[in-house]
Parts: sequence; C-alpha cells; structure tokens
Amino acid sequence: MKSRNLIPYLQAAPLAIVLFLFLAAPLALVLVVSVFRNKLFVGLVPAFTFENYFSILTNAVNYQLYLSTLKFTVIVLAVTMVLGFWIAYFLVFHVRSLLIAIGLFLVCTVPFWTSNIIRMISWKPLLGREGLVNTALINSGVIDQPILWLLFSDFTVVLSYVHLFTLFMIVPIFNSMARIDKSLVEAAVDAGASRWKVIWNVIVPLCKTGIGLGSVFVVTLVMSDFFVVAVMSGGLSGSVSSGVFFDLGILNYPRAAANSIVLLAIVVLIAAGILRVVDVRKELTG
Amino acid sequence: MHKHQKRPWTFYVLATLFTLFVIFLYGPMISIFILSFQGPTGGLVFPLTDPGFHWFGALFGQARTGDVGGAFGRTLPLALAVMVATVVISVAAGLAFRRRFFGSSVLFYTALASLIMPGLVLSIGILVAFQFLGLPTRWYSSAFGAHLSWTLPFGLLIMFAVLSRLDPAYEEAAYDLGATRWQTLTQVVVPIVLPGIIAVSLFGFTLSYDEFPRSWLTTGPQNTLPIEIYTMTTTVTSPALYALGTVTTIISFLAIGLALGSIGYIQHRRRNKKSF
Amino acid sequence: MVHSGVVSLQGVTKSFGSLTAVDDIDLTIDGGSYCCLLGPSGCGKTTILRMIAGHETPTSGEIQISGVSVLGQTPVQRGTAMMFQSYALFPHLTVLDNVAFRLKMQGMAKRERRAKAHETLEKVQLNHLAERMPAQLSGGQQQRVALARAVITNPQVLLLDEPLSALDEFLRLQMRGELRRMQRELGITFIHVTHTQLEAIAVADLVVVMDDGHIVQASAPEDVYARPTSAYVARFMGGQNVLRGVVQSVVGPTVTLRSDQGQIFEVDSAQISAAAGDIVHLSIRRDHTELEKSDAVPTQPNHVVGKVIAIEYQGTYVKVTLDAPDNREFVSHVPDDKYLAQRVDVGDQVVVSWRAADVHILADDHRKSESGPDLELAS
Repeated sequence: MKSRNLIPYLQAAPLAIVLFLFLAAPLALVLVVSVFRNKLFVGLVPAFTFENYFSILTNAVNYQLYLSTLKFTVIVLAVTMVLGFWIAYFLVFHVRSLLIAIGLFLVCTVPFWTSNIIRMISWKPLLGREGLVNTALINSGVIDQPILWLLFSDFTVVLSYVHLFTLFMIVPIFNSMARIDKSLVEAAVDAGASRWKVIWNVIVPLCKTGIGLGSVFVVTLVMSDFFVVAVMSGGLSGSVSSGVFFDLGILNYPRAAANSIVLLAIVVLIAAGILRVVDVRKELTG
Repeated sequence: MHKHQKRPWTFYVLATLFTLFVIFLYGPMISIFILSFQGPTGGLVFPLTDPGFHWFGALFGQARTGDVGGAFGRTLPLALAVMVATVVISVAAGLAFRRRFFGSSVLFYTALASLIMPGLVLSIGILVAFQFLGLPTRWYSSAFGAHLSWTLPFGLLIMFAVLSRLDPAYEEAAYDLGATRWQTLTQVVVPIVLPGIIAVSLFGFTLSYDEFPRSWLTTGPQNTLPIEIYTMTTTVTSPALYALGTVTTIISFLAIGLALGSIGYIQHRRRNKKSF
Repeated sequence: MVHSGVVSLQGVTKSFGSLTAVDDIDLTIDGGSYCCLLGPSGCGKTTILRMIAGHETPTSGEIQISGVSVLGQTPVQRGTAMMFQSYALFPHLTVLDNVAFRLKMQGMAKRERRAKAHETLEKVQLNHLAERMPAQLSGGQQQRVALARAVITNPQVLLLDEPLSALDEFLRLQMRGELRRMQRELGITFIHVTHTQLEAIAVADLVVVMDDGHIVQASAPEDVYARPTSAYVARFMGGQNVLRGVVQSVVGPTVTLRSDQGQIFEVDSAQISAAAGDIVHLSIRRDHTELEKSDAVPTQPNHVVGKVIAIEYQGTYVKVTLDAPDNREFVSHVPDDKYLAQRVDVGDQVVVSWRAADVHILADDHRKSESGPDLELAS
C-alpha cells in the first residue's frame, strides 16, 4: 500500500525535473543576472545592483517600446477576439453537421502546426511594392502608385499578428462554445429572446472562460514577440522583446535580464488578471 | 426534417467571413508555394517565369543558402526526440494528476506558466544556466530542454483532458481480469487513450520542428532549421527561401496528415469495424 | 467443511475519511446462491461489493470466500469476477478479445484463448458478433459480453454492480431472467447490487436490505416483502402500510394498541411479547385491506378512516390513497372487479379495515416502555 502512494510522485517526477531545469532554474538565474553588472569586454560581473532596472525605467525609449507593444496588444486582442468569436460561433451554431464543423475547425488549426516564420515571410510576395496586391490594384486602375505601407509598417505587423495568433483565440472559444447545451439556446428563444439577446445573454457568458484563455494566449504572444515586429515593420517599430533582443545583440546580459524580468512581470500580471475571472482547471476537466 | 429548415441570413454573412478568413490563413502560404517553382531568372514576386525545380536544387547546393541540409539533419532528430520525450513525460504526469498528491497544484500551474513564459526570456535563462554550469549550449542538450518546456504544457493539457475522461472502471476491470499494473497500462490505458497520445506527438514534433524564439540562444554553434530560415530572411534574396519554406511546410503537413489520419482511422475502426 | 463460493463478512467497516460508508457488517452468503444487496444510493451496498471484489480494502473486519481470508488478495486469487455498472468493455478490443482478455493476461496462447472465448460467447448467444467492436453493440448485447468476459474462467463468485441500470424497461426484465438462468447453469455465487426492489425479489435467494451503512434485514425475498422486520424495510419495499400504537392491554391472545389519534388496533399476541406502555410498529399489506365508502365510524377495531386523495388504476387492481389521520398516506389496493362494483371518488369518506391475523409486527422497531414512549412522542 505504501508503494502505491509513491506512484504519483514517480509519474510526475520527469515533468517536475524538466520544469525545474528548463523553466524554474533558468528563470531564477535571469532574476539573479538582472542585478549583476555588465563590464565591457569582461561580461558578467556578480553584484547586487538595481542599475539595470534603473536604466530601463529612466530611459524614454523604453517607454516608447512599452507603449508601442501595448498598442499592438490592444489592437490585435480586439481584432482576434472579434474574429475568433464569430468564427467559433459560425462553426458551433451554424454548421449543422458535427463532422463538417470539426473538419472546418481543423482547417483553422492546421497552421498552428506549421512554421510561424514561413507563414510570416509568405506575406512578402503579396504585399511588397511589386507584390500581388499592389500589382492588382494598379492594373485595375484603383491606384497609380503602389501603396508602400502594405509591407514594412505597423499595418503589416498587426496583419501578421492577426494571421499568426487568431487561432489561439478560436480554439479555446470553440472549445467552450461547443459544450453549450443547444437546448439552452432553444430555451432562451422560447423565452422570447432575439438572436442578439441569446448571443449576449447566454452564449457570451457561457464562453467567458474560452475568451479569457484566448486573451491570455494572444496578449502573451504579442508581448513576447520580437521577430514579427522586427521583420514585418522593416525595423521601423519595436517591442519590449525587441529591446531585450537588442541588449543581447550588444552582449549586455544584465540589462537584457532586467528587461526580461520587467516584461515577464507585466505579462504575468495581465494573465493573472484575466485568469482571476476564469477557472482553467475546471475548463479542462469539466 | 432539420435539413429543410431555412438558414438564417447570419449564416451567409458568417460563412463569407469564414471563407475570407481561410483564404487569409492559407493564401500567403499558397503564394510562396507557387513562387518556389520560380525559374532560375525569376524574382521574388509574381509572375512565374520558366517554372521548375531550380530553387529546390539550389537549396541543398550549399553555395548561397547556408547549411540547409545540416540544419535538416539536426532539426528532424531533435523534433523526434522532443516528441518521444513529450509523450512519455506527459502520459506519466497525466496519470499522476488523476490523483491528488502533495504539490500537484504547484506543478500543474508551473506547467501552465510555461505556456505564457516569453520564449526569448527562457532562452536567456537557459543560456545563462548553461554558462553558469560551464556546459556548452548544443541543439541536443540546451535546445532539447528549451523545446520540452514549450511542448510539455501542451502535452500535459491534452493528457489531462483525455485521462480525466477515462472511466476508472476500465482499469478496475483489467485488475479484476488479472492484469498486472504494467499490463493494465500497456494493454488497456495506452490503447484506449491512443488518439490523445497521437495528438501529443503531433504537438511535440511540430512545435519543436518549427520553434524559433526558444532555439535562438540555445542551439549553440550549429543552427536548427527555423534559425537557418530566419537568417536567410535577411541574407537570401532568391526564391530559394520560398523553396525552403515549401519543403518544411510539406514536412509539417505530412506530420499533421499522419497524426490526424491515424486518429481518424482509430476512431472509425472503434465504431465501424465490420464483422466478416 | 465450508462450501465453495460461501462469502462471509465479519465486522466489516469501511470509512472514507470521516464518512463511514459501511459500519460493522456481518453477513454470510451461501455458496451457489443468488444474493441481492438492496438499498437507496449511498447506503454502502456498492462499497460492500467492491470490498468483496478486492477493489476496496476494508478499514477493519474480515472477508472470507470459501472459508479462506481474502484480504490482500487480488481478484483472481479470490476467485471473484466483477461485472461493472458501465460494463467497462475495452473500446479498442473486439468482443472476442474482450472476452478472452482474462486468458490473455494468464498467458494463454492466442488460438486456445480464442477458442475458449468462442465457447463462452456461445453461452450468451453472441458468437455471431465476436468480431464486432463494443461500440457497435446494443446495451443488452454489451451486458451479455460483460457477463461472458466475467465468467470465462468459472469464478467462484460473480459480483454484479447495478447490472441492469443501463437498460430500458423491457430489456431489464428480459436480462434479469437471463442472469438468474445463468446463475443456475453455472452454479456459482452471484452477488448483485441494485436499488430496485422488484428486481431484487425477482431474482434473489437472499435479499440484503441496507440503510446508511447497516444491514437492516437479510432474508428470503418473500420474507423481506411480506414480513419486514422494521418500518424502514416495510416502507422501502413498498406494498405495506405502516402504523404505530402504544400497548393498552394484553388479554389472552389479543394485544390491544392505541394510535396517537386514538384508533384501536388488535394484534395476535403470538407475534409479540409486549407489555402495557410499549410502542409497537405494525404493517398491513395494501392488498390485505377492505375499503368501504362510509361516513360512519365503525366501532370494531382494526380500521382507519379518511378522505380519498388519489385513485390510480393499475390494471388488475386500483390503488386508492387516503389521508389517514396521522398525516401519513394510507394505501389500499382494491381488486379491479370489486372497485368497478363500488366506485369511490376523490374526496369521498372511506373506511379501510383489516383482519387482526393480517397484521404484521415490525419486531425491530418494538420499543419497551422504559425508554421508548417519551422519545417517540417527542418526535
């Protein structure tokens, strides 16, 4: 009987070890390094100083980066939430055959299992100065000069984010929407609710968890991104992560670490704020 | 009866939205797929001139495109190793989580936290950790661990959902029928949750295969494919980049097709196997 | 010498944390008999079954099968087999491989175990479905596969956890007959958990009625039904009216009781040794009553008067419910021909009477006067 009680610990041990070695310990080291000093040509010098944090918080450029990241986050969150909700709603409540709904759902999720970088750069032949969109618009006479902001602008960054991350919104919303008992909708209609009232008073509250989870994903992904913003803005925009990326480029590990900690703290705060409203464990097992 | 019901107008609006979204999702991918067949004199944009397999050949020629072959040779075994480790660790942990044990909540939420951990931050942490221990960063050690910290939460969530739906009566029945604990695991539990395990494999393989931010500082001197591609976006200005994109996307699609196909096959077999 | 298949529980208790599911139970089930554990959900019957099967370990007490202690043994060592409520047929295996699973675990060669599985499937007339997957079978077929899988190695004891609950009414009646036939054929002990009274008395040799972790009565089905020992069993089994009275006098063969409302009941003293002041519970079968439409209050004992509050036609009889004066419903079953000859309506004043010989004393609820009356009256 005693040995039986040990079994869960043995089964969970590999996960615990991996998470310790490759998540907890590295994170702790980032925290430690963030108070180290950086010396040119020497590298890390153990110390206990807040000057890295100080340099981040007093730097106006950093505030611009945070502001720009926040702007992207809010725009992308709004667009993906609207898209994600209506696509999930279409699949769950408008497609009559379950098999087709699952098939279409998979069509939405397949890109998740392919390369983000490839998906990102695949916009280039479409949006560039001589890209398909500009060529088409010029040939049809809508414009006579190519639109330059199609590629390498904030627009392109938002477009790429929406392209890459909408499925992170669709999946959790679809998941909680699919569990809504259809008779609830019929009961609401029986009670005299219009289509919009059903959506607002029945469906939205019941897939709050899905929307919450999707939001956590999208916020985290946008805030931690550094390569989409680097590649798709053509270097014109930046994000907090690209600040970290820059520090790494000049081998200033302590400031990169401090920057990471600030970023992580913000991400965790936002995620915790959203997760206060939704119970993840219940969503998974219920 | 249901079939004859008239569809509401919202159906047509949302169906249009959905179609546009799918075009938005796949359109760009298809355009680089077509452009990868660009002829030797063709450019990075349409039109397609003198189509052929020129750039696919150039890809493995090493001349201008870096070490693509070598990167493949590292990325595939890494993805397979991550896949196997993800399956084993997630299944084991999923079984553990069916019972409350001391620290189970902390472990569960740590795994979830791994999902929202910015990849770049993790990359820095692992790099510093390896430097601290005096170990060199390599694709098969540091990057392997970095990838696991990304694939495991997905694997765990899937197994968590699958195993929580597994009726404990199956295991009791096996015990009742004289199966040892090992026989119960290998002949009852694993076969029943096999579709879930395949899904975990799919996540393990593809997420590692395409991972970029967590690989950035952890692969060491020899690049994996996503890093190779990222470098190429700035240095290579030929359709060879598209050819590479096409090749790696095809590999991803093969993995997806294999996984979804076998899940579908298993479900179908359990419901529709014909008596002969 | 203890017969094969005898199951005996001695002082068995099972606690889950602070909750006691089974409380100090003693029970012996004869080898080769059909026993039903009957009670409402949460009464501990399934826990007892699972302890006999080896899926739960008693907190204290002893369990023996064929005279041997089985605590710490696996189900196979115990010689038990369990049929699960959900059947737990492995969804990835064919019917044949499900049935042969136990033999496979023993290491029997494929050809041999499949032949044996076919033989067993033949017993439940399902050989033609051997290659099907469980999901392709109807509920009744699944149940028979589960039965075949459980009995393939001739266990000494078969444990059935609510085996019929997943079936519809028609199949339930058919399958319970089949279970009984199977038990006779195999000659092994069946222990069957159910919450359905009619199911229990229809199949069992021994009905064990449980309440809140205790056995309240364990006897032959006709005894449990017609001669309950407590008001709980009488009410739970149904078909009975339960009344209560305080002993007024014991004169010769007649014990005279008086209810709280002043009604007088007479009981044969052979059934009970009571003294004045004792509180006695008694039961009268619904079908052993006479119903008469009358406004007069009769002078002789053994009757209740009341207004009819419900009438339900049941085919061979009519169920007439009246609001007896103690606010407990009193039900009389009137044969349909008699009812048609003398109809009553809801709201009619009626008298229901019975013969003193048809009164049954609920012995377990008998309270001696020293301790009883005050407590009872207080409630």
